[in-house]
Amino acid sequence: MLGHAFALGFIAATISCATITAAQEMPAVPTFIEEGSTAGITSVYDGDWEYMVGGGVATFDCSGDGRADMLLAGGKASATFYRNESAIGGALKFVSEPSGLELDAVLGGYPLDIDSDGITDLVLLRFGENLAMRGLGNCKFERANEAWGFDGGDAWSTALAATWERGATWPTIAIGNYLNRYEEDFPWGSCTDNWLHRPNASGTNFAPPLPLKPSFCALSILFTDWNRSGTPSLRVSNDREYYKGGQEQMWHVTPGEEPALYTADEGWKPLKIWGMGIAAYDLDFNGLSEYFLTSMADNKLQRALPAADGSDVKATFADIAFKAGITAHRPYTGPEKKPSTGWHAQFDDVNNDGMVDLFVAKGNVDAMPDFAKEDPNNLLLQRADGTFQEAGDLAGVASMKTSRGAALADFNLDGLLDLVVVNRREPAQLWRNTSTNAGRWIEMQLQQPGANSDAIGAWIEIKRGDVVMRREITVGGGHASGQTGWWHFGLGAETETQLRIIWPDAVTSDWYPVATNAFYVIDRDLAPQVWTPQ
Amino acid sequence: MQTLRRIIMRASCLMALGSGFASHAVYAEVPPQDVLATWYRMTLELVRHTPTYTPPVASRAFAYLGVTAFETVASGSDDLQSLAGQLNGFTAPPTREADQIYDEGIVLQAAMATSVASFFANTGPTGQRALASLTTKQNAKAAEGVASDILARSEAYGKAVADHIIAWSLDDGGAIIENMGFPYDYALKEGPSHWVPTNLVRQQQFPLLPNWGTNRTFAMPGGTTCPVAAHPDYSEDPSSDFYAEAMEVYEAKAALTPEHTQIARSWSDDPMLSTTPPGHWVSITRQILERDDAPLPLQVEAMAKLGVGLADAFIGCWDAKYKYDLVRPITYIRRVIDPKWDPLLNTPPFPEYPSGHSTQSGTAEVILTDLFGEDFAFEDHTMAPDGLKPRIFTSFRQAAEEAGLSRLYGGIHFRSAIVVGLEQGRCIGAYTVALKTRSE
Repeated sequence: MLGHAFALGFIAATISCATITAAQEMPAVPTFIEEGSTAGITSVYDGDWEYMVGGGVATFDCSGDGRADMLLAGGKASATFYRNESAIGGALKFVSEPSGLELDAVLGGYPLDIDSDGITDLVLLRFGENLAMRGLGNCKFERANEAWGFDGGDAWSTALAATWERGATWPTIAIGNYLNRYEEDFPWGSCTDNWLHRPNASGTNFAPPLPLKPSFCALSILFTDWNRSGTPSLRVSNDREYYKGGQEQMWHVTPGEEPALYTADEGWKPLKIWGMGIAAYDLDFNGLSEYFLTSMADNKLQRALPAADGSDVKATFADIAFKAGITAHRPYTGPEKKPSTGWHAQFDDVNNDGMVDLFVAKGNVDAMPDFAKEDPNNLLLQRADGTFQEAGDLAGVASMKTSRGAALADFNLDGLLDLVVVNRREPAQLWRNTSTNAGRWIEMQLQQPGANSDAIGAWIEIKRGDVVMRREITVGGGHASGQTGWWHFGLGAETETQLRIIWPDAVTSDWYPVATNAFYVIDRDLAPQVWTPQ
Repeated sequence: MQTLRRIIMRASCLMALGSGFASHAVYAEVPPQDVLATWYRMTLELVRHTPTYTPPVASRAFAYLGVTAFETVASGSDDLQSLAGQLNGFTAPPTREADQIYDEGIVLQAAMATSVASFFANTGPTGQRALASLTTKQNAKAAEGVASDILARSEAYGKAVADHIIAWSLDDGGAIIENMGFPYDYALKEGPSHWVPTNLVRQQQFPLLPNWGTNRTFAMPGGTTCPVAAHPDYSEDPSSDFYAEAMEVYEAKAALTPEHTQIARSWSDDPMLSTTPPGHWVSITRQILERDDAPLPLQVEAMAKLGVGLADAFIGCWDAKYKYDLVRPITYIRRVIDPKWDPLLNTPPFPEYPSGHSTQSGTAEVILTDLFGEDFAFEDHTMAPDGLKPRIFTSFRQAAEEAGLSRLYGGIHFRSAIVVGLEQGRCIGAYTVALKTRSE
């Protein structure tokens, strides 16, 4: 069934690429207004060589008001926590306040509810010891490495992904590590091991981390059920600048078994890029995610290929970035045309037309003269035919600052996705989406009792006309940046729609009719409940 | 005051330098061979990890670095003869002060550090950090216990030689590389025989460095000095020679043995994932020199000649490539034989004929054979860090032939391109062999 659907989707996509005429109309261009300084954002991702990578942002609601608060990595400086005090639909406003997260050497952070107590926790990626920070409520956090048996190690940690393995009551967290920072003269080939923190035998804490060998200087990792088998695999995007004999990787992480790399016999083909970020989304509505991989110069958009008999998918991915117009390989505005450097990437629908768009944070590594110094961030709007149109400059987000991590999030709860971007050696930037031409939307949060309260690994399906839009709920990917909270869908002109949830254990809900332009909280086994911002 | 230990050390270093050093070049605190080995190790890493360093660009750097090392050492040697006046546009470098003492290790350290920093000024922050760290450590190591006047004089002289050669390099046509070597605009030639893009990388829709064949050569008169015979006429007729060569590539892929695959991967030498083809031959030569603890004059002679030859080889090869502008096997085979065919290796983004690696290898073969002799056996461990087993050869010719054939196994060249590439490389290499590096 899945194979058939995939085949149809693949054919449709092929046809659409071959007949790009009327469908290539310019999508509605959103309007963004930069409000970082007026909103109170002053955080700078600072530091030298040690912080040439990283620079993430974590968005999560720790105050219980539904608004996304955030933690911005500071690198050499302290990380900064900001409480979101934006008015509904109004200007963005954030207030920095002590949270317990004000730590130095932070490259990024990922929110997740580790102990399933309904309060968001965070894992901080650091130059040195990583930290598991337990949420105490009301935006206070405390170190929990010892309490949870989390070995923070002593490495240059640059990536994180989390999942709840089938039946587990405690999460599995994968940490991506970079090169050996003590190798000064000949650091190339010194990639250090990534780690897999699995639950201990009793499922109440972490076991000692398992090294993932070989490791090739990961800058983004993501647990994703790429073939809808019900068991997420671990995609790892690696920086070829430092590895020898390396490539992009994907691991089987099967409950109760040792991790194992996908092999050539399973269809895996070597790809060697300056891997820096992963974004995933089902772009062609066939039930499988496509994967955007950021790099230097050309970026990649991968689509899984069907097996020869069409019955299933193999772990073989074709690069469709060129056809999709999404290579984003050099600046599209500004004075330079040298190759670009891509970092955080995120698919989401910024104009609510029902076609997810792509934001890519761009910025020179550090004074690399052969790459653009003034390297504008991308906002690539997806057309109806699946191709993309650059609109970062038109939308007002073509920042030339040296960007790293980012997040699209509805900070003022108006149904329009806003944007925060972390910049190296300069203040982070915050844009409010003020579009007046956007379509309708829906946002939802998933909740389930017991372990994995945020339903990481679930799939949300929602109908828009004849298509079913889907997104996988994940923790990981991007560049050192993670999010929990509202999951957003644009719905074009649809005033009503239906949605359903495929929960992490594969239990599938009924289709629920819902009105658009609304927030919903979806408890497992209950119909969606409207949530009204206060 | 020199300690006995230092005197002994210096004596041993002098012995290691080899014979023929001029009377005023009396010692070296750190063996210059060690300095040379360290900087070539660094250079091979930087070639791999600097994004503009495609193979032709790498060959250019190896030429100038080799000449820098050679001239630095030759200036203090009675046995070596400067290449000034022999290499195109190369004038005599600064000379040493008469009757003054120089530390050979410091002179070479200063020259190499200056040269590597210049040719890799565009490397990334990690490369810059490594360069700075290595330079600081090497400088300190070389200067330890050396009198301040000798230190200053030696450093200044080494830097002066490097600066002279850097200045010579600036107008050779290859000093500025934009967009990683891919033109922003280029008119592809019409017709089925001509090169078309072979991948879906936007940056590589135009071919690499189309004007490289017009660069100033080093030892040979110009890029057209060693022309190649025409390839078989393009044809899609199954009875044609061209079709037969394509079918050979197609069938070779289908019949690949583990040995064939090993050969193809061992010589793949992709830019930014390896030391590149010229770097591979430099690596081989470094392994031999260090294995045999070769005397310094031979070391710098080998690095200069190999560098010069490999740079000329790419200029000559590129001149021919853009003259013929031939389609790659992947394009032809998918068009005529099997639309789903994939080669083992990634197809390089430039015209097919002749094979660049074959030209490189033919040149390396004649230069290294001239330096080390026929039937010179060696092992090549270049690809060991990438997990590949060493290759064992009984001669440079055998290695060159294998390097050429690897491109057929890899599915990226027709046989004609390999055969004429090797021949062109040998022709080009002969000009380097003819250079006079030893005093009469």
